[in-house]
Amino acid sequence: MGKDKSFSSRSRAGIAVAAMALAAGGFVSGATAQEKVTIASWGGSYQDAQSKALFQPAEKATGIAVTEETYGGMSDVRLKVKAGAMTWDIVASGSGSAARAGAEGLLEPLDYEVIDVSNFYPTLKMKYCVGGDVFSTVFAWNTETYGENGPQSWADFWDVEKFPGKRAYRGKVAGALEPALMADGVPMDKVYEVLSTEEGIERALNKIRELKPHIAVWWSSGAQHAQLMKDGEVDMTTGWNGRFDVAINDGAKAAYSFNQALLDYDCFAIPKGAPNKDTAMKFLAEISKAEYQANLPKYITYGPTNKLAYEIGKIDKAVAEKLPSHPDNAKLQLPVDIEWYGKFEQKASAMYQDLVTE
Amino acid sequence: MSDLALPTSSSSLAHSNQQELKRDARQERFVLFSLCSPALLLVLIIMVLPVGWLFWLSFLGEDGNFTLENYQRMVESKSYARIFRNTFEVSLLTTAICILIGYPLAYFLSQLPRRTANLCMITVLLPFWTSLLVRTYAWLVLLQRRGLVNEWGMDIGLWDEPIKLVHNLTGTLIGMVHIMLPFLILPVYGSMRAIDRDYLKAAANLGASPTQAFWRVFFPLSLPGLFAGSLIVFVLCLGFFVTPAVLGGGKVIMVSMRIATNIELFFNWGAASALGVVLLVLTLAILGVASRVLRFDQILGRGH
Amino acid sequence: MERLSLSGVAFLMYFFGNDQTLVFAGQSCATPFSMGRSCFSDRYERFVLNEMTPAASSTGSPANSQAKTPAGGALPITIRDATKAYGRIFALDNVDLDVRSGEFLTLLGPSGSGKTTLLMVLAGFTRPDYGSIKFGEREIVRTPPHKRDLGMVFQNYALFPHMTVAANVAFPLKLRGVSKPEMDQRVEQALETVQLGGYGERRIDQLSGGQRQRVALARAIVFEPRILLMDEPLSALDKKLREQMQIELRRLHDKLGMTTVYVTHDQREALTMSDRIAVINHGRVMQLGTPNEIYERPANRFVADFIGESTFLPVSVQDGVASFGGQALKVAQLPRGDHELLLMLRPERLHLVTNGEEVRDSAVNAFQAQVREMVYQGDSFLMYTELEDGTEVTVRGMTRRDMVSCLPAIGDAVQLALHSDDTVLVSAEGA
Ligand SMILES: Nc1ncnc2c1ncn2[C@@H]1O[C@H](COP(=O)(O)OP(=O)(O)O)[C@@H](O)[C@H]1O
Ligand SMILES: [Mg+2]
Repeated sequence: MGKDKSFSSRSRAGIAVAAMALAAGGFVSGATAQEKVTIASWGGSYQDAQSKALFQPAEKATGIAVTEETYGGMSDVRLKVKAGAMTWDIVASGSGSAARAGAEGLLEPLDYEVIDVSNFYPTLKMKYCVGGDVFSTVFAWNTETYGENGPQSWADFWDVEKFPGKRAYRGKVAGALEPALMADGVPMDKVYEVLSTEEGIERALNKIRELKPHIAVWWSSGAQHAQLMKDGEVDMTTGWNGRFDVAINDGAKAAYSFNQALLDYDCFAIPKGAPNKDTAMKFLAEISKAEYQANLPKYITYGPTNKLAYEIGKIDKAVAEKLPSHPDNAKLQLPVDIEWYGKFEQKASAMYQDLVTE
Repeated sequence: MSDLALPTSSSSLAHSNQQELKRDARQERFVLFSLCSPALLLVLIIMVLPVGWLFWLSFLGEDGNFTLENYQRMVESKSYARIFRNTFEVSLLTTAICILIGYPLAYFLSQLPRRTANLCMITVLLPFWTSLLVRTYAWLVLLQRRGLVNEWGMDIGLWDEPIKLVHNLTGTLIGMVHIMLPFLILPVYGSMRAIDRDYLKAAANLGASPTQAFWRVFFPLSLPGLFAGSLIVFVLCLGFFVTPAVLGGGKVIMVSMRIATNIELFFNWGAASALGVVLLVLTLAILGVASRVLRFDQILGRGH
Repeated sequence: MERLSLSGVAFLMYFFGNDQTLVFAGQSCATPFSMGRSCFSDRYERFVLNEMTPAASSTGSPANSQAKTPAGGALPITIRDATKAYGRIFALDNVDLDVRSGEFLTLLGPSGSGKTTLLMVLAGFTRPDYGSIKFGEREIVRTPPHKRDLGMVFQNYALFPHMTVAANVAFPLKLRGVSKPEMDQRVEQALETVQLGGYGERRIDQLSGGQRQRVALARAIVFEPRILLMDEPLSALDKKLREQMQIELRRLHDKLGMTTVYVTHDQREALTMSDRIAVINHGRVMQLGTPNEIYERPANRFVADFIGESTFLPVSVQDGVASFGGQALKVAQLPRGDHELLLMLRPERLHLVTNGEEVRDSAVNAFQAQVREMVYQGDSFLMYTELEDGTEVTVRGMTRRDMVSCLPAIGDAVQLALHSDDTVLVSAEGA
């Protein structure tokens, strides 16, 4: 299965105790002081894409030997850090989880002297992690129910008079509050400002409460919301753009819009106590370059974090226009505020769960 | 040896081989014990240690120090109480429905000739051979808005609008009952088969109508199986994840799902462990009360 | 101790035949082997059992003498034409049987003869193919089991394991809506009747086999049924307990007086307990009679063979005289009909006549035989002999302290004497 997107982490992260399977790689070269890094990611088609687009070409170019592993998320990092036995040099993570893990002291700050992020969208990096790919949380609708003139904004998503039909909405707080505020009339650039008080969060929750009778499903994974659209089980849902692309290619009668979507990213971080910290920094600098980033859309419909990737001609124009980080699409969207998640996610999550279980 | 012990030891020495026989008995016990020690060790490793670890973790905060915050959170946030109630409700309902469907089915099977019954049993067990995920998704395909059940129902004219069969409690229960049913039927069938038909003859002979014979003799004798089956189903339900997650549409939230969410949210096993501990304690408490009320130790303790 | 070992030595000495003179003390041996009879001078003075049944003699009280009849009185059972086939096997083959009111009737037969089937037909658990069953005047062949109102003791007792002893016994009373105080009182009374007073609170699995047997009995009689059925109730008990229970069951029957139909394959048990015995084979009643009749005057070879031990000799009949090997027999009674006839020889009815002596008694048939083997059994001995035509015949005698002095040796020729009253001819049919 593909990749489960979230701001904070992956839904499957907590379920499985990660199998620490050794992926391909190893120390092949005879060079005495060969540099090496161990990278942990989530496995599956997502890690395959990362490996083919980023890790393998970079390994070839730099001579840094890459060992790939799979892991279960930041909770695993925490265990290793606490035990003082860190074996990973780089971990792939959702941006929100990385932010909180960084705040907790589980991650090394990144050295942006080494990693060149001058061509990154400014929101796609932070102290403890650097963006690896970009995706959007969008609203999608059933084109059989609404025709091509589907909802154009979150206000439309909430408008059950104009767009009667069943909704699906995320069962977790990440990416759930921002659309509600926008639907309630808060301008895009004020969303996080409003959310930064308990009243603001309550306001968003009340807006969702309004829609609750029409929410047939609280989805919990990307596979699920794609399937819901494909089966026509609901008429409208929030979700991750890449999933909908796959479903549409698969014949789903669905469409989505980047308007007012939430622009988010996955990132790479270096855990505290990484055995090859400096090499890891170099390796991150390498895979952040546009030529690697431009490989990504070949394997997965998520966008590069480096704007230059669109300019070096590696990505088809038709493909590029559909990517979340394409400048034309990016400007329609609200970049996710990772700091807000670091500060408020746990509190907001508790309130959100109260709402869902009401 | 002290002087005080001398008289007894000398008198015991008077019996030939007494010391030696005693030592043999001790040795034999030791050998027997060492024979089970791998099993005991295994139990220790796979049962006791993890549960102990779970307890320990649940008292650790994000900073790794002792704290009650993981438990405090459960008291403060309303959703936890609801999720626990939900978990027990769903488990109880599933168990109840399993009993209502499974008991008569097991009874029917137990009355068939053995060979026919065995054949039928294979159909009961068939679902065991399919993956849980596949079965769960199969129900999704059947029950959803444009699923087979709704389409047929509307084709035949049983109902006009699609009825909500899934992404709610109904769907969850259907899926869970389907998966749990064999766990109930097997022990119940087993205990029914073990009931000597002479008991029923005796009851009839003593004046019991078939109904009376069933309720006063057959049913109580099948209780150990029913109890074992219900217990298995109930306890398995408490930890269920996949089926409610897929068929519940996010509206049926069980403790196991919240455990997964909490691990993601807090990167902290402690927050999740506390949930596990509370679930474990509540379950044990409920079983304790149930065993008092139903006195199943007496039913189960009856041996021949 | 001493005597025992002495007689043991004597026996061994006899057995190896190393002291002829001791064994053959000639005339000094006034009493050779007989069964409780004095000696040759007044031999064959018959100890007449008459109509006294073994059961009656063992309990010391004749059947029904002080019967306390159950409420409404005991009921007779009339079975007519009862037939039940399983495939091609007739478990019951046109059975006609009358069980008298208040009697203890035993169905006796080998395994698979249809005893249980007949009992199950009476209890209502097996539906016969056809036939009529009447309890008193009431036809019950189509009445379901729970409305037949008869007590039954199952072979495995079928005590409800989830109930206490008292609850088991109270079960039939509860179903009959008996009030709690009366129920308690009757349960205790029933338990006392079977000598289990105070055992009410025990669990079934805390009881021994014999105690379970008694609880089953208490449960079957507590509602004072007018008919009691028992299917091999003692077969699971060890010998001693079984013999004790036989007597107790019989006593209980005499006390309660209900009509009892009892099933066993053990002939001794049947002889001990019954007022009458119905011998069954292949789903048919071979003979119905008192134990004495059954034993002394078996109707055919099957009955004679099944009850007691016997050897059969072919007999020819001509002009109303039966003869064996050319020797005319003095018989008690010549059966009617033109069946082939057999002479039934019971080991304990044969007497040994030592060498040189002649049998002059006019009421005695004598046969020449040769001793083949002797077996000492404590209270009795068995002597295997061979007749002139090669038939093996067994003789049983009671042992006595001085018997070593009177025994023949292996290979000796002996004469076997049989009183004419014991010379019973049976039909060769029904084997
Ligand atoms: N349920 C049955 N099905 C087939 N044959 C049976 C059944 N019950 C009894 N029989 C047959 O009927 C005959 C009589 O059986 P049964 O009454 O149990 O004998 P008994 O009790 O004298 O040993 C046997 O040949 C037995 O095999
Ligand atoms: Mg039988």
